Amino acid sequence: MTGMTIAQPEKIDTLLPGLDNEGLARVQAETPSKLLQEKRAAAYADYRQLAWPTVRDEEWRRTDPSLFPLAEMQRLPDLAAQDVWTAHPWDAEFDVVVAVRPDGFAIRHQNHTARELGITVLPLAEAAATRPDGVEPYLRGKALPTPSGKFEALNDAFWNFGLFLHLPAGVQWERGLLVRYEMDQPDSLLIPRLVVVAEPQSRGMMVERLQSPDDIRFMAVPQRELYVQEGADFKLVSLQEWGLNSYQVSNDWGLAERDANLNWITLNFGSARSKMKFGGDVAGPNSAADMDGIFFASGEQHMDQRTLQIHSSPDTYSRLLYKGAVKDVGRSVYQGLIIARPGAIRVDAYQTNNNLVLNEGARADSIPGLLIDADDLKCSHGSTTGNLDPEQLFYLRSRGLSEAAARRALIQGFFEEVIDRIPQAVIREQVHQHIEQKMES
Amino acid sequence: MTDKTPYFEIKDLHAATEGKPILKGVNLSMVKGETHALMGPNGSGKSTLANVIMGHPAYEVTAGKIIFEGQNVLEMEPEERAQAGIFLAFQYPVAIPGVSVAKFLKSAHDATHGKKKLNPAAFLKQLREHIKYLEVDDAFINRYLNDGFSGGEKKRMEILQMLTLQPRFAVMDETDSGLDIDALKVVSKGVNKLTGPDFGLLVITHYERILRYIHPDHLHILIDGQVAQSGGPELVKKLEEEGYDWVREEFGQEVLAH
Repeated sequence: MTGMTIAQPEKIDTLLPGLDNEGLARVQAETPSKLLQEKRAAAYADYRQLAWPTVRDEEWRRTDPSLFPLAEMQRLPDLAAQDVWTAHPWDAEFDVVVAVRPDGFAIRHQNHTARELGITVLPLAEAAATRPDGVEPYLRGKALPTPSGKFEALNDAFWNFGLFLHLPAGVQWERGLLVRYEMDQPDSLLIPRLVVVAEPQSRGMMVERLQSPDDIRFMAVPQRELYVQEGADFKLVSLQEWGLNSYQVSNDWGLAERDANLNWITLNFGSARSKMKFGGDVAGPNSAADMDGIFFASGEQHMDQRTLQIHSSPDTYSRLLYKGAVKDVGRSVYQGLIIARPGAIRVDAYQTNNNLVLNEGARADSIPGLLIDADDLKCSHGSTTGNLDPEQLFYLRSRGLSEAAARRALIQGFFEEVIDRIPQAVIREQVHQHIEQKMES
Repeated sequence: MTDKTPYFEIKDLHAATEGKPILKGVNLSMVKGETHALMGPNGSGKSTLANVIMGHPAYEVTAGKIIFEGQNVLEMEPEERAQAGIFLAFQYPVAIPGVSVAKFLKSAHDATHGKKKLNPAAFLKQLREHIKYLEVDDAFINRYLNDGFSGGEKKRMEILQMLTLQPRFAVMDETDSGLDIDALKVVSKGVNKLTGPDFGLLVITHYERILRYIHPDHLHILIDGQVAQSGGPELVKKLEEEGYDWVREEFGQEVLAH
């Protein structure tokens, strides 16, 4: 594995080829919307000023940024609508499907439901050009932290695939959207940007599936921004299945307004190295966030996840459950932070991270945390790290299950609490298969 | 005529846990079709014996033999013992979150039935019959194994497993402890459904109460890791009236000195 190229601390201003002034000029020439040009320019100014993270940053202490071969990747030109459609067995489960490939993307409505409900699924560039006022507040909007981080700013300036999903007030969208990424161009850099706006009292759901072949090197720097408005309910399931030679640094942000519910499920099985950050802000009274995650690092995989449960309003609720396993020389990092902003009283926040370490040589680090600037709140965080329970193993074996079958049952069972929350049976089945394959490999 | 040769035999069994000897030469033999009870005061080694029969890795057998239907049980893995037809109803069944009762029972059934597996529909039908018989809520089968179960539910779950696996020899380790009389009756009903000429049962208990519902042919009294007394059902009554002291006296002071 190569890639010691970003993050030389003494030259933090180093701009990477293609992600520099010239690169921006090229991107701007491709950008039709004035709004997007302005947003990109502002983001680029931030990006230029920000230093690349180094292992001296607490957040990157356990995941060296130089593990990511960003400098060796070629940013793909802005993806355009193309006839890149190939059918996929999961498509039938959803009303709208977006297929993303290195040479373009295709948006398909499987039926009339989304159009009848007035739901918008558009390329971000088109949405920004045709309805700038509807996009402007939600692109680099208030869900994002200020100041921005280096990778967020990079995404904002250089994203090459953007998608805008808008649910009008009151719609109930059961079957939702599938976005599937099938990336197979060697040494390419995909920078996806997703913006979701769920208007008041709407309910909806989307699933992302991220795939690349094991034998090509590839990198993704995604960023997602979700706005769940008053009384709305939105669920996002992200299934990360990048190939074993792929890399990802993702930054995702969600904001729930009064009485809203934000539910985010991350399922991490793929990639050589990945670092994800998810920040969910329960920003209005009586809003709630449910954050669930599964990760399984086997072989030489390294997976780092950081979650923020941000309570910026009183009377808010958040619940987080991240379950991970490490095997072979796999390595995982979980860092969680519950943040209660000043005045955020009567807050309930729960954070649980459980890790299975399946053999010596594998490693799971768990760093739960609280940052409380308010009182009158109920907070709990807990983490466990260990191997399978010998009493449980014996119990199953005493009923005739072989040791291998008993281990499989316990490991599947360990993840089941999260798997149960995935709405689609096909995805639950896929998750079971990933776990099975990882245990057999 | 029933076969009077022993089909389950424990010979001079010694076992230790964490280096501490618990069983110190247990002898016991059973003929097919019989029900035996094993009683004894706390700490006498009853649960150790149950766990050793099933092959719990925390116990080390230092001497002796266990023979079941001619097979050397101590050389078998726990799953091989189950597949051979041995069953242990645990005193403290562990909870296994994420593994549903139905799925678990199907895997256990398949693992122990070899070529006589049932197809899923037939299995579910049989499971529902058992559940009804044991007066358990139907929703039980979709719950996670023992997870959040009450003490009584866990014990019924053990019996449900026993009915599902149809073992030829079962050990019940204090299944009656902590059960109210109604639950005890249900548990006994489940057990009595299995008893017959091809089934042997060893009931380990602390209380005579369960022996009113499950009638043993023989009773053994375990004291300090050895079988101190064996006898017929009349022993139950004597124990009930006189406790263990007379056993200790008859068994001899040298045992008590340990």
